[in-house]
Amino acid sequence: MMLTTRGGHETESVGAALGEFLREGDLVVLGGDLGAGKTTFVKGVARALGVRDPVTSPTFTIVQEYDGPVPVAHVDIYRLQRVQELHDLGLEEMLDDRVVLVEWGDVVAPLLPSERVEVQLTIGDAPDMRAIEIVAHGPGWDARRDALDTALAAIRGT
Amino acid sequence: MLLLGIDTSTRRVGVVLANEHGMLGRVELGSSADRRPPRHAENLAPAIAWCCEKCDVKLSQLSAIAVGTGPGMFTGLRVGVTTAKVLAQSLRVPVIPIPSLDLLAYPLRFTHALVAATIDARRHEVYWAIYQPVPGGVQRVSEYELGGPDELVAELQARAHDVILCGDGVLRFPDAFALLGGRVAIAGPAHASPSLTALAELAAARFEREEFCPPSEVLPLYLRQSDAEIEWERKGA
Repeated sequence: MMLTTRGGHETESVGAALGEFLREGDLVVLGGDLGAGKTTFVKGVARALGVRDPVTSPTFTIVQEYDGPVPVAHVDIYRLQRVQELHDLGLEEMLDDRVVLVEWGDVVAPLLPSERVEVQLTIGDAPDMRAIEIVAHGPGWDARRDALDTALAAIRGT
Repeated sequence: MLLLGIDTSTRRVGVVLANEHGMLGRVELGSSADRRPPRHAENLAPAIAWCCEKCDVKLSQLSAIAVGTGPGMFTGLRVGVTTAKVLAQSLRVPVIPIPSLDLLAYPLRFTHALVAATIDARRHEVYWAIYQPVPGGVQRVSEYELGGPDELVAELQARAHDVILCGDGVLRFPDAFALLGGRVAIAGPAHASPSLTALAELAAARFEREEFCPPSEVLPLYLRQSDAEIEWERKGA
């Protein structure tokens, strides 16, 4: 599913639409250049999952955890240098009981569980325009994929 | 002699205090039965404080810090091993690192069967090691391994010996081990977490033999290792 947004609030709304479909154990892999809106997108996801605390960039802390109705782990691997550091994060353990969102996760995609939602944000022709591609992979999404695409298509239509 | 022991290699936070005569007290919080996110970081320090308070032990009295080094949960081991190192460094006492798989096997030493200790490694894999009971303890007869449950099953089939399986790894994949049939017994939830009594006993023995480790040299046992660099060429573009 490909959508186009104008402004951070629209990107956040798309994140919220995805968030409505997420549950513990779901992995979201976010790709996109610096400033493409990955953290903005995650803010929308977290809001939809009932996170009330302000969502801030995990670039410095690497992992930010939020305990709401659906616990969330917001990860940014931008500062990691070695594959070992990625193993040491214990992403699989976080997936036991959280929704896990990984910024720059596309860079290490082969090392991550294959069951996941891939979100790619691309800066458009105008500075506030973003193209957002969302694809859900894996059998865990078979029962939810159509409903997700319908919900996202509804946003595109507005 | 006063020892503080810590094991956080599974979902359980474990704290134990012991002297030369045995265990003084212990605190265990969490297990695989608790589906909430594990709270190693939030619970370990209060558990240590509470255990010390109820046992009338001051941190300044401790002779050494024992710690289960896994293999196991990364998130738990980070907290447990770091806490042990920081306490030891600030109290100027040594650390006694003991692999958590050893702590699972030790309580099952009163048998003629082999003991296979397992810890859930996620990704449909388990950490495991095989032990043979010997007078006074268990002797490890395999490496510390990481692999699918089927790999451990194949290893046990090859050994063709009675086996007791313990730890949360086997509880996670009961069907895989059911294939082994009659020569295998599965120890239940009572043997799901590394034993704190074992940690106290084994650490006391190592303390007597002065088998110490400087805090700076203590590392968790990570079997999932990689020397590769993350390919970041896109970041520079």
